[in-house]
Amino acid sequence: MMFESSQFDSTPSFVSSQTADPSPSSAKTRDAQPMHPVTVKQIVEASSSDGDKSNFLIDGVSVYNVKLVGMVFDKTARVTDVSFVIDDGTGRIGCKRWVNDAQDTQEVEELTDGIYVRVHGHLSSYKGNKEIVLYAIRPVKDYNEIAYHFIECAHAHCSNTKLQKNGSVTLASSTATTPNNGQQAISSSQVSQDYSMDGLGSIGKLVLDYLQLPTSSAKEEGIHRNEIAQKLKISQEKIIEAMESLESEGLVYSTIDECHYKPVSA
Amino acid sequence: MDTSNPAAFVNAELLRMYVGRRVRAVIQVLRNDGGSIFGKSTDEQELVVKGHPPNPPTTFVEVIGIADSNRSIQAEIWTNFGDNFDVSSYNTICQLANGDFKHLFI
Repeated sequence: MMFESSQFDSTPSFVSSQTADPSPSSAKTRDAQPMHPVTVKQIVEASSSDGDKSNFLIDGVSVYNVKLVGMVFDKTARVTDVSFVIDDGTGRIGCKRWVNDAQDTQEVEELTDGIYVRVHGHLSSYKGNKEIVLYAIRPVKDYNEIAYHFIECAHAHCSNTKLQKNGSVTLASSTATTPNNGQQAISSSQVSQDYSMDGLGSIGKLVLDYLQLPTSSAKEEGIHRNEIAQKLKISQEKIIEAMESLESEGLVYSTIDECHYKPVSA
Repeated sequence: MDTSNPAAFVNAELLRMYVGRRVRAVIQVLRNDGGSIFGKSTDEQELVVKGHPPNPPTTFVEVIGIADSNRSIQAEIWTNFGDNFDVSSYNTICQLANGDFKHLFI
Protein backbone atom coordinates (compact mmCIF):
# COMPACT_ATOMS: atom_id res chain seq x y z
CA MET A 1 0.00 0.00 0.00
CA MET A 2 1.07 3.52 -0.61
CA PHE A 3 0.06 4.92 2.73
CA GLU A 4 2.21 6.29 5.42
CA SER A 5 0.53 5.83 8.72
CA SER A 6 1.65 9.25 9.80
CA GLN A 7 -0.65 10.65 7.19
CA PHE A 8 -3.62 9.49 9.22
CA ASP A 9 -2.43 9.20 12.74
CA SER A 10 -0.87 12.48 13.66
CA THR A 11 -2.66 15.62 12.74
CA PRO A 12 -2.48 18.64 14.99
CA SER A 13 -6.21 18.45 15.66
CA PHE A 14 -5.88 14.93 16.97
CA VAL A 15 -3.18 15.90 19.41
CA SER A 16 -5.01 18.94 20.69
CA SER A 17 -8.31 17.12 21.06
CA GLN A 18 -6.64 14.55 23.26
CA THR A 19 -5.69 17.15 25.78
CA ALA A 20 -9.05 18.85 25.47
CA ASP A 21 -11.12 15.79 26.23
CA PRO A 22 -13.40 16.55 29.16
CA SER A 23 -13.17 13.15 30.80
CA PRO A 24 -9.84 13.16 32.65
CA SER A 25 -10.57 9.80 34.29
CA SER A 26 -10.38 8.03 30.96
CA ALA A 27 -7.33 9.88 29.72
CA LYS A 28 -4.87 7.61 31.45
CA THR A 29 -6.54 4.44 30.30
CA ARG A 30 -6.66 5.76 26.80
CA ASP A 31 -2.96 6.56 26.55
CA ALA A 32 -2.03 3.04 27.53
CA GLN A 33 -4.42 1.49 25.01
CA PRO A 34 -3.72 0.71 21.38
CA MET A 35 -5.99 2.02 18.63
CA HIS A 36 -7.88 -0.93 17.12
CA PRO A 37 -9.01 -0.82 13.49
CA VAL A 38 -12.53 -2.29 13.48
CA THR A 39 -15.73 -2.57 11.47
CA VAL A 40 -19.08 -1.48 12.92
CA LYS A 41 -20.20 -5.11 12.79
CA GLN A 42 -17.34 -6.11 15.07
CA ILE A 43 -18.33 -3.41 17.55
CA VAL A 44 -21.98 -4.44 17.51
CA GLU A 45 -21.00 -8.05 18.17
CA ALA A 46 -18.46 -7.15 20.85
CA SER A 47 -19.36 -8.23 24.35
CA SER A 48 -18.59 -6.08 27.32
CA SER A 49 -16.28 -7.69 29.79
CA ASP A 50 -17.02 -7.96 33.49
CA GLY A 51 -19.92 -5.56 33.30
CA ASP A 52 -17.47 -2.73 32.73
CA LYS A 53 -19.37 -0.65 30.26
CA SER A 54 -16.33 0.91 28.65
CA ASN A 55 -14.45 -2.35 28.20
CA PHE A 56 -15.33 -4.55 25.23
CA LEU A 57 -13.95 -7.76 23.82
CA ILE A 58 -13.32 -8.10 20.10
CA ASP A 59 -11.65 -11.33 18.93
CA GLY A 60 -11.13 -12.08 22.62
CA VAL A 61 -9.00 -8.97 23.03
CA SER A 62 -10.01 -6.12 25.28
CA VAL A 63 -10.69 -3.07 23.10
CA TYR A 64 -11.07 0.51 24.27
CA ASN A 65 -9.84 2.77 21.48
CA VAL A 66 -11.09 2.19 17.96
CA LYS A 67 -10.63 3.66 14.51
CA LEU A 68 -13.18 3.44 11.73
CA VAL A 69 -13.75 4.73 8.22
CA GLY A 70 -17.28 5.32 7.01
CA MET A 71 -19.96 7.69 5.85
CA VAL A 72 -21.60 10.35 8.03
CA PHE A 73 -25.38 10.39 8.47
CA ASP A 74 -27.90 12.14 10.72
CA LYS A 75 -25.55 14.84 11.96
CA THR A 76 -27.00 16.73 14.91
CA ALA A 77 -25.15 19.74 16.31
CA ARG A 78 -25.72 20.91 19.87
CA VAL A 79 -23.95 23.57 21.91
CA THR A 80 -21.51 21.22 23.61
CA ASP A 81 -21.37 18.30 21.25
CA VAL A 82 -22.02 17.01 17.77
CA SER A 83 -23.41 13.57 17.22
CA PHE A 84 -23.88 11.58 14.05
CA VAL A 85 -24.15 8.04 12.79
CA ILE A 86 -21.25 6.44 10.97
CA ASP A 87 -22.06 3.83 8.32
CA ASP A 88 -19.09 1.78 7.12
CA GLY A 89 -21.15 -0.58 4.97
CA THR A 90 -21.12 -3.27 7.67
CA GLY A 91 -23.49 -1.42 9.97
CA ARG A 92 -24.26 1.88 11.68
CA ILE A 93 -23.21 3.19 15.05
CA GLY A 94 -23.71 6.48 16.87
CA CYS A 95 -20.74 8.79 17.42
CA LYS A 96 -20.38 11.76 19.68
CA ARG A 97 -17.74 14.50 19.61
CA TRP A 98 -17.54 16.93 22.50
CA VAL A 99 -16.93 20.47 21.34
CA ASN A 100 -14.73 22.52 23.64
CA ASP A 101 -12.74 25.01 21.63
CA ALA A 102 -12.50 26.69 18.26
CA GLN A 103 -10.48 23.88 16.77
CA ASP A 104 -13.10 21.31 17.75
CA THR A 105 -15.77 23.53 16.25
CA GLN A 106 -13.84 23.74 13.01
CA GLU A 107 -13.46 19.97 12.95
CA VAL A 108 -17.19 19.31 13.29
CA GLU A 109 -18.22 22.10 10.94
CA GLU A 110 -16.60 20.24 8.09
CA LEU A 111 -18.96 17.33 8.67
CA THR A 112 -21.90 16.93 6.36
CA ASP A 113 -24.16 13.97 5.75
CA GLY A 114 -22.84 11.64 3.07
CA ILE A 115 -19.12 12.38 3.35
CA TYR A 116 -16.51 9.79 4.21
CA VAL A 117 -14.60 10.30 7.44
CA ARG A 118 -11.96 8.55 9.46
CA VAL A 119 -12.74 8.68 13.15
CA HIS A 120 -10.73 7.85 16.25
CA GLY A 121 -12.48 7.39 19.55
CA HIS A 122 -13.29 5.11 22.40
CA LEU A 123 -16.10 2.63 22.81
CA SER A 124 -18.72 3.51 25.31
CA SER A 125 -22.11 2.28 26.34
CA TYR A 126 -24.98 4.65 26.90
CA LYS A 127 -28.39 3.37 27.99
CA GLY A 128 -27.46 -0.11 26.77
CA ASN A 129 -26.48 1.18 23.34
CA LYS A 130 -22.87 1.18 22.24
CA GLU A 131 -21.53 4.41 20.88
CA ILE A 132 -18.15 5.92 20.07
CA VAL A 133 -16.93 8.99 21.89
CA LEU A 134 -14.60 10.60 19.38
CA TYR A 135 -11.21 12.21 19.84
CA ALA A 136 -10.75 13.09 16.20
CA ILE A 137 -12.68 13.26 12.95
CA ARG A 138 -11.05 13.75 9.59
CA PRO A 139 -12.72 13.83 6.20
CA VAL A 140 -11.32 11.19 3.85
CA LYS A 141 -9.58 12.90 0.93
CA ASP A 142 -7.85 9.91 -0.61
CA TYR A 143 -10.45 7.20 -1.10
CA ASN A 144 -7.82 4.45 -1.11
CA GLU A 145 -7.99 4.94 2.63
CA ILE A 146 -11.24 2.94 2.67
CA ALA A 147 -9.66 -0.23 1.29
CA TYR A 148 -6.61 0.43 3.45
CA HIS A 149 -8.75 0.60 6.59
CA PHE A 150 -10.54 -2.67 5.90
CA ILE A 151 -7.28 -4.44 5.08
CA GLU A 152 -6.04 -3.18 8.43
CA CYS A 153 -9.17 -4.59 10.11
CA ALA A 154 -8.60 -7.98 8.48
CA HIS A 155 -4.97 -7.93 9.53
CA ALA A 156 -5.78 -7.04 13.14
CA HIS A 157 -8.42 -9.76 13.22
CA CYS A 158 -5.85 -12.28 11.96
CA SER A 159 -3.23 -11.37 14.52
CA ASN A 160 -5.71 -11.37 17.40
CA THR A 161 -7.30 -14.69 16.51
CA LYS A 162 -3.91 -16.26 15.80
CA LEU A 163 -2.83 -15.14 19.24
CA GLN A 164 -5.70 -17.12 20.69
CA LYS A 165 -5.21 -20.24 18.60
CA ASN A 166 -1.65 -20.38 19.85
CA GLY A 167 -2.87 -19.77 23.36
CA SER A 168 -4.22 -22.30 25.78
CA VAL A 169 -6.21 -25.25 24.47
CA THR A 170 -9.37 -24.32 26.36
CA LEU A 171 -9.35 -20.85 24.92
CA ALA A 172 -8.78 -22.08 21.39
CA SER A 173 -11.60 -24.61 21.57
CA SER A 174 -14.10 -22.23 23.10
CA THR A 175 -13.52 -19.65 20.38
CA ALA A 176 -13.73 -22.32 17.70
CA THR A 177 -17.31 -23.13 18.64
CA THR A 178 -18.35 -19.52 19.07
CA PRO A 179 -16.18 -17.53 16.69
CA ASN A 180 -17.91 -14.17 17.13
CA ASN A 181 -18.54 -14.47 20.77
CA GLY A 182 -15.94 -13.03 23.07
CA GLN A 183 -17.64 -14.16 26.28
CA GLN A 184 -14.45 -15.55 27.75
CA ALA A 185 -13.41 -13.18 30.44
CA ILE A 186 -9.85 -12.97 29.28
CA SER A 187 -7.82 -9.84 29.14
CA SER A 188 -5.24 -9.30 26.46
CA SER A 189 -2.46 -9.65 28.99
CA GLN A 190 -3.74 -13.07 29.97
CA VAL A 191 -3.89 -14.07 26.35
CA SER A 192 -0.31 -13.09 25.73
CA GLN A 193 0.71 -14.98 28.83
CA ASP A 194 -1.06 -18.11 27.63
CA TYR A 195 0.50 -17.54 24.31
CA SER A 196 4.03 -17.62 25.58
CA MET A 197 3.54 -20.38 28.12
CA ASP A 198 1.09 -22.96 26.88
CA GLY A 199 1.17 -22.73 23.13
CA LEU A 200 4.53 -24.47 22.86
CA GLY A 201 5.25 -28.14 22.76
CA SER A 202 6.96 -29.57 25.81
CA ILE A 203 10.30 -29.63 23.98
CA GLY A 204 9.84 -26.04 22.90
CA LYS A 205 9.24 -25.09 26.50
CA LEU A 206 12.39 -26.93 27.68
CA VAL A 207 14.46 -25.30 24.95
CA LEU A 208 13.12 -21.88 25.77
CA ASP A 209 13.81 -22.39 29.47
CA TYR A 210 17.36 -23.46 28.67
CA LEU A 211 17.93 -20.43 26.45
CA GLN A 212 16.59 -18.16 29.15
CA LEU A 213 18.98 -19.43 31.83
CA PRO A 214 21.29 -16.61 32.92
CA THR A 215 24.32 -18.67 31.86
CA SER A 216 22.83 -19.04 28.37
CA SER A 217 21.57 -15.54 27.83
CA ALA A 218 24.92 -14.11 28.92
CA LYS A 219 26.48 -15.50 25.75
CA GLU A 220 26.33 -12.86 23.09
CA GLU A 221 26.39 -15.27 20.14
CA GLY A 222 23.55 -17.36 21.61
CA ILE A 223 23.55 -21.10 22.06
CA HIS A 224 24.33 -23.71 19.41
CA ARG A 225 21.40 -26.05 18.91
CA ASN A 226 23.71 -29.09 19.28
CA GLU A 227 24.55 -27.90 22.76
CA ILE A 228 20.84 -27.69 23.59
CA ALA A 229 20.31 -31.21 22.20
CA GLN A 230 23.18 -32.52 24.29
CA LYS A 231 22.19 -30.78 27.52
CA LEU A 232 18.52 -31.67 27.26
CA LYS A 233 19.24 -35.20 25.93
CA ILE A 234 16.84 -34.74 23.05
CA SER A 235 17.54 -35.82 19.47
CA GLN A 236 18.90 -33.17 17.10
CA GLU A 237 15.98 -33.59 14.71
CA LYS A 238 13.51 -32.82 17.45
CA ILE A 239 15.54 -29.81 18.54
CA ILE A 240 15.67 -28.51 14.96
CA GLU A 241 11.91 -28.92 14.73
CA ALA A 242 11.38 -27.14 18.04
CA MET A 243 13.76 -24.32 17.07
CA GLU A 244 11.85 -23.76 13.84
CA SER A 245 8.56 -23.52 15.62
CA LEU A 246 9.96 -21.24 18.31
CA GLU A 247 11.45 -19.06 15.63
CA SER A 248 8.21 -18.84 13.68
CA GLU A 249 6.39 -17.93 16.91
CA GLY A 250 8.86 -15.07 17.30
CA LEU A 251 10.15 -16.37 20.63
CA VAL A 252 13.76 -17.01 19.55
CA TYR A 253 16.00 -15.71 16.81
CA SER A 254 19.15 -17.01 15.19
CA THR A 255 22.35 -15.04 15.73
CA ILE A 256 25.77 -15.51 14.10
CA ASP A 257 24.56 -18.38 11.92
CA GLU A 258 21.43 -20.48 11.68
CA CYS A 259 22.57 -22.87 14.41
CA HIS A 260 22.97 -20.31 17.22
CA TYR A 261 19.87 -18.99 18.95
CA LYS A 262 18.93 -16.43 21.53
CA PRO A 263 15.54 -15.96 23.18
CA VAL A 264 13.66 -12.79 22.33
CA SER A 265 13.04 -12.10 26.00
CA ALA A 266 15.65 -13.31 28.43
CA MET B 1 -26.40 0.63 16.49
CA ASP B 2 -27.63 -1.49 13.65
CA THR B 3 -26.25 -4.08 11.24
CA SER B 4 -29.53 -4.93 9.54
CA ASN B 5 -28.83 -3.08 6.32
CA PRO B 6 -25.21 -3.64 5.30
CA ALA B 7 -23.88 -2.83 1.83
CA ALA B 8 -21.65 -5.66 0.65
CA PHE B 9 -18.42 -4.83 -1.15
CA VAL B 10 -18.77 -6.22 -4.66
CA ASN B 11 -17.07 -6.46 -8.00
CA ALA B 12 -18.91 -7.77 -11.08
CA GLU B 13 -18.22 -11.38 -10.18
CA LEU B 14 -19.69 -10.98 -6.69
CA LEU B 15 -22.62 -8.79 -7.76
CA ARG B 16 -24.60 -11.82 -8.96
CA MET B 17 -24.73 -13.18 -5.40
CA TYR B 18 -26.51 -10.06 -4.15
CA VAL B 19 -29.32 -9.45 -6.65
CA GLY B 20 -32.07 -7.65 -4.74
CA ARG B 21 -29.74 -6.69 -1.89
CA ARG B 22 -27.66 -3.69 -0.91
CA VAL B 23 -24.16 -3.45 -2.37
CA ARG B 24 -21.30 -1.01 -2.81
CA ALA B 25 -18.93 -0.98 -5.75
CA VAL B 26 -16.35 1.27 -7.34
CA ILE B 27 -16.83 1.86 -11.06
CA GLN B 28 -14.47 3.35 -13.58
CA VAL B 29 -16.73 5.54 -15.69
CA LEU B 30 -16.62 4.77 -19.40
CA ARG B 31 -19.82 6.43 -20.58
CA ASN B 32 -22.30 8.69 -18.84
CA ASP B 33 -25.67 9.48 -20.37
CA GLY B 34 -26.91 11.41 -17.33
CA GLY B 35 -29.40 8.74 -16.29
CA SER B 36 -26.98 5.88 -15.98
CA ILE B 37 -23.30 5.17 -16.10
CA PHE B 38 -21.64 2.47 -18.09
CA GLY B 39 -18.39 1.53 -16.52
CA LYS B 40 -15.85 -1.01 -15.52
CA SER B 41 -15.96 -2.86 -12.21
CA THR B 42 -12.81 -3.40 -10.14
CA ASP B 43 -12.53 -6.87 -11.72
CA GLU B 44 -12.65 -5.23 -15.14
CA GLN B 45 -16.09 -6.22 -16.34
CA GLU B 46 -18.78 -3.93 -17.69
CA LEU B 47 -21.53 -2.81 -15.35
CA VAL B 48 -24.46 -0.44 -15.65
CA VAL B 49 -25.31 1.85 -12.77
CA LYS B 50 -28.74 3.49 -12.88
CA GLY B 51 -29.80 6.61 -11.01
CA HIS B 52 -28.55 10.17 -10.99
CA PRO B 53 -24.77 10.23 -11.33
CA PRO B 54 -22.79 13.17 -9.94
CA ASN B 55 -22.29 15.96 -12.41
CA PRO B 56 -19.57 15.70 -13.47
CA PRO B 57 -18.46 12.27 -12.28
CA THR B 58 -14.77 11.70 -11.67
CA THR B 59 -12.97 8.79 -13.36
CA PHE B 60 -13.88 6.56 -10.43
CA VAL B 61 -17.22 6.68 -8.64
CA GLU B 62 -18.47 4.66 -5.74
CA VAL B 63 -22.08 3.59 -5.79
CA ILE B 64 -24.14 2.24 -2.92
CA GLY B 65 -27.45 0.81 -3.96
CA ILE B 66 -29.45 -2.28 -4.76
CA ALA B 67 -28.12 -4.92 -7.13
CA ASP B 68 -30.97 -5.20 -9.63
CA SER B 69 -29.39 -7.79 -11.91
CA ASN B 70 -26.05 -9.51 -12.17
CA ARG B 71 -24.85 -6.69 -14.42
CA SER B 72 -26.55 -3.61 -12.98
CA ILE B 73 -26.98 -1.61 -9.79
CA GLN B 74 -29.75 0.85 -8.92
CA ALA B 75 -27.74 3.54 -7.17
CA GLU B 76 -28.88 5.41 -4.06
CA ILE B 77 -25.67 7.14 -3.07
CA TRP B 78 -22.91 8.24 -5.43
CA THR B 79 -19.51 9.44 -4.29
CA ASN B 80 -16.82 10.77 -6.56
CA PHE B 81 -13.65 8.86 -5.76
CA GLY B 82 -11.37 11.03 -7.92
CA ASP B 83 -9.17 10.24 -10.87
CA ASN B 84 -6.52 8.29 -9.03
CA PHE B 85 -7.71 5.13 -7.42
CA ASP B 86 -6.06 1.84 -6.57
CA VAL B 87 -8.50 -0.56 -8.20
CA SER B 88 -6.64 -3.71 -7.22
CA SER B 89 -6.68 -2.95 -3.46
CA TYR B 90 -10.39 -2.30 -3.62
CA ASN B 91 -10.92 -5.51 -5.57
CA THR B 92 -8.95 -7.39 -2.92
CA ILE B 93 -11.26 -5.99 -0.26
CA CYS B 94 -14.27 -7.21 -2.27
CA GLN B 95 -12.79 -10.70 -2.24
CA LEU B 96 -11.77 -10.67 1.44
CA ALA B 97 -15.14 -9.24 2.50
CA ASN B 98 -16.92 -12.09 0.76
CA GLY B 99 -14.40 -14.78 1.62
CA ASP B 100 -12.32 -15.51 4.69
CA PHE B 101 -13.29 -12.28 6.45
CA LYS B 102 -16.98 -12.22 5.59
CA HIS B 103 -17.95 -12.34 9.26
CA LEU B 104 -16.28 -8.96 9.84
CA PHE B 105 -18.44 -7.39 7.17
CA ILE B 106 -21.87 -8.92 6.67
